[in-house]
Amino acid sequence: MVRLRYLKILLGGWILVLLVVCGLAAPFLAPFDPQEQRLESRLQPPTWMGGKSTSSWLGTDNLGRDILSRIIYGSRISLLVGATTVILAGLIGCFLGAIAGYFGHGTDEVVTKITEIFLAFPFLLLAIALMAFLGQGVINIILALMMSRWVQYCRVVRGEVLSLKERDFVTAAKALGGKDFYVLLKHVVPNTFASVTVIATFAMAIVIISEASLSFLGLGVPASIPTWGSMLSEGRSYMNRAPWLTIFPGLAIFITVFGINLLGDGLRDILDPKLRRQA
Amino acid sequence: MTKKKAGISRRDFLKTSAALGAGAMLGPAIARDAFAASRDRITIYHSSVADSLHPYRHSSSPIYGNWQHIMEPLVEYDYKRKDYVGILAESWEYQGKRWVFHLKKGIKFHNGATLTSKDVAFSIDRMRDEKGGSLQAPNFKDVTEVQTPDDQTVIFVTKQPLAVFLDRLENRFILSKAAADKHGDQMDQNPIGTGPYKYVSYQRGGNFVFTRNDDYWGGKADIKEVVFRKVTEDAARLAALESGQADLINNVPVHEVARLQRHPRVNVERIEGLRMFFLAFNVAHKPFDNKLVRQAVNYSVDGPAIIKNIFDGIGYSINGPVGSNVLGADPKLKRYPYDPQKAKELLAQAGYPNGCDVQLYYSAGRYPKDTEVCQVVAAQMVKGGFRVELISQEWAIFWETTGVNGGKLPFYYIGRGSLTDADTLYDQYFRTGTTKRSNFSNPEIDKLVEEQQKTPDMKKRTAILQQAGKIIMEEAPFVPLYNLADIYGVAKNVNWKLRPDEKVLVWDMKIR
Repeated sequence: MVRLRYLKILLGGWILVLLVVCGLAAPFLAPFDPQEQRLESRLQPPTWMGGKSTSSWLGTDNLGRDILSRIIYGSRISLLVGATTVILAGLIGCFLGAIAGYFGHGTDEVVTKITEIFLAFPFLLLAIALMAFLGQGVINIILALMMSRWVQYCRVVRGEVLSLKERDFVTAAKALGGKDFYVLLKHVVPNTFASVTVIATFAMAIVIISEASLSFLGLGVPASIPTWGSMLSEGRSYMNRAPWLTIFPGLAIFITVFGINLLGDGLRDILDPKLRRQA
Repeated sequence: MTKKKAGISRRDFLKTSAALGAGAMLGPAIARDAFAASRDRITIYHSSVADSLHPYRHSSSPIYGNWQHIMEPLVEYDYKRKDYVGILAESWEYQGKRWVFHLKKGIKFHNGATLTSKDVAFSIDRMRDEKGGSLQAPNFKDVTEVQTPDDQTVIFVTKQPLAVFLDRLENRFILSKAAADKHGDQMDQNPIGTGPYKYVSYQRGGNFVFTRNDDYWGGKADIKEVVFRKVTEDAARLAALESGQADLINNVPVHEVARLQRHPRVNVERIEGLRMFFLAFNVAHKPFDNKLVRQAVNYSVDGPAIIKNIFDGIGYSINGPVGSNVLGADPKLKRYPYDPQKAKELLAQAGYPNGCDVQLYYSAGRYPKDTEVCQVVAAQMVKGGFRVELISQEWAIFWETTGVNGGKLPFYYIGRGSLTDADTLYDQYFRTGTTKRSNFSNPEIDKLVEEQQKTPDMKKRTAILQQAGKIIMEEAPFVPLYNLADIYGVAKNVNWKLRPDEKVLVWDMKIR
């Protein structure tokens, strides 16, 4: 059991590291400029499937762009949007959740009602509506996803804080003269980190898929930036003729999300006190 | 403390999906051959079929095509002759503020009554009745009165001389007044016209069915029964054609053409469509106020390459400001050649020696392969010295006062549909003040557009439009690109002539 747990973290972690390396070193790894169109050699199959172009390992797309290069560059958007959204949504969600749980009464009432309003919207629908309103763009997509993702953090942190604030060490800190915010930041919030980390990893997987979905629907980042979602969307009409247009970006999304989920699963096994006891 | 999980378990879900997936893959293999099943009936799956039985609550070409089986217009545009021909009208005269129509004699409605001018006046009244649901009233906004001096004569009195009135009368179909009087508020359930087919039944979102009118004045049609069915999903129409459920479908996607052509019993037929695609400038925005910049864009965009590579060669390059299938086209005009070097020179002359930043707007998903087209345009323009940012907007935001029609977008990709007359395009896009789409203003063009709208003679009008076209090409307020094809899939034993206006008309079809 214990070994499996670490195996999950190890495998997931490696996939994530690989992704980060891909994103950071994209200009050195990619054999071509991802935007360079070579219309004369469009829809070339991958080299190992008998493609004429020996340099395009994963084939070329409908505009003759190199698919491997686009996938490598596409990892940047997935990572950027995934990480930024998760961190920003985490900050907002944790802050609101912590003050709601700690101060209770009116504050709690207001924050809870707001989260309920956000929860009432289906997540992706809210993101689509926001994107239609804000227009395309990397910052807009981060905003839209953040607006729909912070709620989960808020609910979990509020719940944890509710129980933590009744514990003896909090009472002790208060008795020693600790101010509310000091106690909250120094003694209460750090104890929620375990759950927050687990939420964050799963949220990252969801955010990466959502970004791909929005790009697929044409609501994501502008067409001049390669992303896995828009690659899927553009390749969709060529499914019969050139399946490699969709298979490879699809695999990229699959492996990434799988890796992050593994990592999240492993972390939860270790950090969740209930599961820890079972082991 | 074991809890049973609610709902479906992951394993069950996977099993079910696998079974469904296998079923979906087997489907086409066991489907029947595609072949018109009967000589007497044709089944047409179309993306656009009448949404109600109100005969005038619509204004789109394919739906006019549905109704034209039952009822007929006074005049119709003949795409071959490029002129109007009489259907119910024998002849007509343009007398300044009056248009006089003489009806053909002895035309009978489906109920046996004879066509008279009263029926025409009654039908026009219903078309003008916006409160009653008609969407065709704007066509008569310049008409002050409809007179019926005798049974064979109808006179339209207009506010000012209106040479282009025949265009407004196209697709204005005539119903029987006697039938309407008899059925009262049930008249829409009993549409009676003079057409080659009679109404049988209608279900919203289901079938619209006609049967042959054996007493038709213009000669009996060949096929006995017609079924129109609205199917908006491309894949569903394709599947229906391939499995033999449908005999004819419209809008075959370009990328499916090659595969469908290999189908043993289906023909793919196509015709140059009437939707013209172009890149429009709004000259109120920099740098497009400068003619040289606009010309530079024209030199740097290679339309034919887009047709070849994005649309698999299925498209029609436009030479001049309008396509060759449009009234007012000038065969002598040529499109700007693809010449990025020349574009760079012009840009330098215009004061942008180091290139120029522009934003190209479009609405992803509105038109076939629009995102791909705009990406290729952007890459081509880079070679001509531009730096292009692509911005896609929701259609409503793109099109309404927040965008094109508010004059807010400096440079955008657009398709103008049902374009048969250059007048429509010049008036809407390039005449001062009609719309804010280009904010273009040129006194010469204004004068020519006004002049041709007063000219009833088609030849003279064409000449004036060609004159305007020449100026427009020089001023370059847009980059004309191409017309795409209307692509139909038809069972091989169905014989028909395609029309460029998206109408599917059955009476001159044959099933072998």
